[in-house]
Amino acid sequence: MSSVHTEPPPPPPNPDIRRRSGLFIAGFVALQFIIPLTYLVREDRADDRFTWRVTAASEAPTCETTAEILTSEDVEVAVSPESTVHRDWIELLRRDRRVVVEAFLEKQCEVEGVLEATLVNTCDDAQGVRHYQLRCGGERAHLRLSNATGEVSARTAER
Amino acid sequence: MKAWNRYWFGDVALARPYLVLRFVLAALAFDVWLNMIPNGAKYGAGGFNVAHFPVYGDFVPGAAFYLGVLAFTGVLALSQALYRPHRIALAFVAVGYTVGWSCSLLDSVPYHYLLSLYLGCFVFFPMLSARAAFSRSNHAPRGSAWAYVSVCVTTAIVYFYMAAWGAASGKAYWLPMVCSGAYFVASMQDRSESQAVRVAMPLLGIAPIALHVTEPMAGWFSFYMIVIAICVFAPTQALHAAGRTLTFPVRLGPESTESGGVDERAARIFYASLIGLVVAPAITVFVDLPGVKTGCALTAIAMLLVMGRQLYLTPKTRPLWRVASLFGASVALFATMNLSTARFDFYREAAIDAETRGDADAAVILRDKVERYRR
Repeated sequence: MSSVHTEPPPPPPNPDIRRRSGLFIAGFVALQFIIPLTYLVREDRADDRFTWRVTAASEAPTCETTAEILTSEDVEVAVSPESTVHRDWIELLRRDRRVVVEAFLEKQCEVEGVLEATLVNTCDDAQGVRHYQLRCGGERAHLRLSNATGEVSARTAER
Repeated sequence: MKAWNRYWFGDVALARPYLVLRFVLAALAFDVWLNMIPNGAKYGAGGFNVAHFPVYGDFVPGAAFYLGVLAFTGVLALSQALYRPHRIALAFVAVGYTVGWSCSLLDSVPYHYLLSLYLGCFVFFPMLSARAAFSRSNHAPRGSAWAYVSVCVTTAIVYFYMAAWGAASGKAYWLPMVCSGAYFVASMQDRSESQAVRVAMPLLGIAPIALHVTEPMAGWFSFYMIVIAICVFAPTQALHAAGRTLTFPVRLGPESTESGGVDERAARIFYASLIGLVVAPAITVFVDLPGVKTGCALTAIAMLLVMGRQLYLTPKTRPLWRVASLFGASVALFATMNLSTARFDFYREAAIDAETRGDADAAVILRDKVERYRR
């Protein structure tokens, strides 16, 4: 059965619209090709957003995450991440998402009298133990990575 | 340049952009309500947040903000799926959805980014009515739809990178590579006179369906991609027939009169629409989730902007249909929250989090809600 009510399809775009749309299309498509490639130069290898490397939840290594702060009285105080942030953030800490680790350490530094904040991920993978250390009030976050046999690398990053 | 113009601005069967747009908007509304709202309790917990983009600065989105954005996005998206979409409303949906996932790394579901890209393309889709796309039984209308071609190319790029990263890590990559190639050429099937192309194209569509059936992927990603593949690769006449069936009630509705000018009928429609805009979001008062009332009130304001001068300058009934679609979407949100475990899951998560962080008073209130909404 054919409806008596019909509407014409939209008219074809004129040359001006085609030119403007063409510029938008070129930029849009170019960006989509470029953004996933940025993974190759990302410092944080755990950051695979917008790359289409994974399309399902990947398995994280089994890790124990602990944190502590060093106060101005030179006392080390343990901090329970579970009672500080939601457990999904702890999952991201365990996955070594650098930006989350640094934000977590910066949050510990917000408490008055804290000189240094440390996060330790003890994992069952090849990297073993990761130490992340932040000197509060400084310009830069200092990251120290180590495994079970000793220190592997150290890095100073812009905050 | 000719080839470029032919590729992007050549004709496609209008049934394809029509069905892709409506399907993604409708699915997105329920995806947001059923899969994202239960996670809302995580937001703002402990005053800690890291966003996807630096533009958010130190902003910590709370549960009320997050749920409000999701309610706004879902109700507006569904209202646009139910009745003739409008570019302004689609732009609001795109922005709302993108803010929803990008305000926190708590939402790192890969396909949410892809949906934002699709929504961005939708703003430039031809705004088709059911009559424009499906009114003739023996003829599938065709027209230029470069934004629909962008959706196909965007999808092709996603599969291309899935194949590339798969190849780099030694995994099988031929199936996503076939999907990528298929999407790059998909939009050309409706303008080709070759019978071989028309037969081959639906066969190529089997590749993305097979990929998503065989490989587990996050959330509703596979569901979206399978239905989109059907809309993109199905034979034109089959898709046209399916679209005609789906839009049958809409196409038989009364036709709008084309005469303009302010008259008594226009005044009645103006007041009826305004009352409708107040009543429609009011339904969501009974949803009992933080931020949802505000989010739905904002949909009414967005709809007011969408209707613009239609509301008072013409005697057309279009504003009433827009209000009816908003009403329908608000009722759908209310029904979804009452028929699913989304609200229960939200309060249970919030109670567990409050207990973990030692907030006893909040935990008691939240546990009460958990018991109320236990199914």
